Amino acid sequence: MLLLRRIHLYAALLMGPWVLMYAVSTFVMNHRELFRGAPAQAVPVLEREFKWAGDFPPDALPRDKGRMLLQSLDLEGAFTVREEKDGALVVQRQSAVEPRRIRYDPATRMVRIERTPFRTSQFLERMHRRRGWQHGFATDNAWALSVDVFIAAMIFWAVSGIWLWWEMKSLRGWGLAAAAAGAALFALFLAVG
Amino acid sequence: MSKSTKKLGMNWRTLNRRVHVYLALFLLPWFLLYGVSSFPFAHPSIGDAAYNDGRPMWTLRLERAYDVPVPPGDGPEALRPLGQRILTDLGLKGSFGTYREGAEQVNVYIYTFWKSTQVKYYPVRKVIRVEDRRFRLDHFFTGMHARGGFEQDDPWSDAWAVVVDLVCLGLVGWVLSGLLMWWEIPSARRAGWLAIASSLVAFAGLIWRL
Repeated sequence: MLLLRRIHLYAALLMGPWVLMYAVSTFVMNHRELFRGAPAQAVPVLEREFKWAGDFPPDALPRDKGRMLLQSLDLEGAFTVREEKDGALVVQRQSAVEPRRIRYDPATRMVRIERTPFRTSQFLERMHRRRGWQHGFATDNAWALSVDVFIAAMIFWAVSGIWLWWEMKSLRGWGLAAAAAGAALFALFLAVG
Repeated sequence: MSKSTKKLGMNWRTLNRRVHVYLALFLLPWFLLYGVSSFPFAHPSIGDAAYNDGRPMWTLRLERAYDVPVPPGDGPEALRPLGQRILTDLGLKGSFGTYREGAEQVNVYIYTFWKSTQVKYYPVRKVIRVEDRRFRLDHFFTGMHARGGFEQDDPWSDAWAVVVDLVCLGLVGWVLSGLLMWWEIPSARRAGWLAIASSLVAFAGLIWRL
């Protein structure tokens, strides 16, 4: 019982920043209207524009080109890429703090980097949605692992919390009432759809 | 410490513990929902593989002639009345969103916990098409997870959004009340500080590098 309490406690202390991030970001997304005003959605600003001296292998796929371009700019990390009809390569560097849009025009060899200034509400929403192992970068994989740990912690807190509550006999009555009320409300929502 | 101060302190600590546990028990279904439903979000390929059985994702329910004017503008405010009109005309119910899919197509996505329907309206061809999505357990959970907001003109959607707010407050409250409870255990303070410090460093470091 003491061990269970301690694990419940230390898991919470370890995952506290994640809990707070998900809580605050959920509130932001649940009240988008509140956060749509000033400061408005961040507009990307030009960071720099220059002629790129690099080159791509002739058979390189867009994803490979994007990776090479980001490597040369020292901006490696999670990204999406698309090739436009005019052959330009557009890379969205999915940085948590300041996402960047990098556009390479092969005709002029010009690279244009636009940075999205930091906005708290947008940052929180990005962090809330950040997950998955698809990017292949060490930091992204570490974040994905932290999300998996958080999921396991959520389940553990629920199960261990129920156990810890049940051990407190004097709380069983009101606890059952609270649990029943919550379950009934949830079931009502499910029934209504 | 005086008796009354001691009693106030004890009552405050007891209140803190009681709120922590009773709020958790009340919101337990949502707590478990958000925990469990985060898994298919983090590992979508598992659901995709499980439902990769050749059955189509979308099934046509109806396609017929339909002609209503499309308002100018692309924003949700501009297109929402059109979406509502389509739902009413076709007898569809649920929370919905309306958006343009190119110059000649407007989509309305209708969601309930158990069913998702998409309506494609082609104003130039004057045709409307209604498709139902097959039920997938992973999508059932992710749909519930993503539901929220007060944009729908529907009291049940608003009520759900209120509970989402309560969960947010609960999460913050559990952290704060949990910190108070931890601090009440002197023997756990050192390890607790280590846990807090390492988590803050890891969290900040990850965000900076992402």
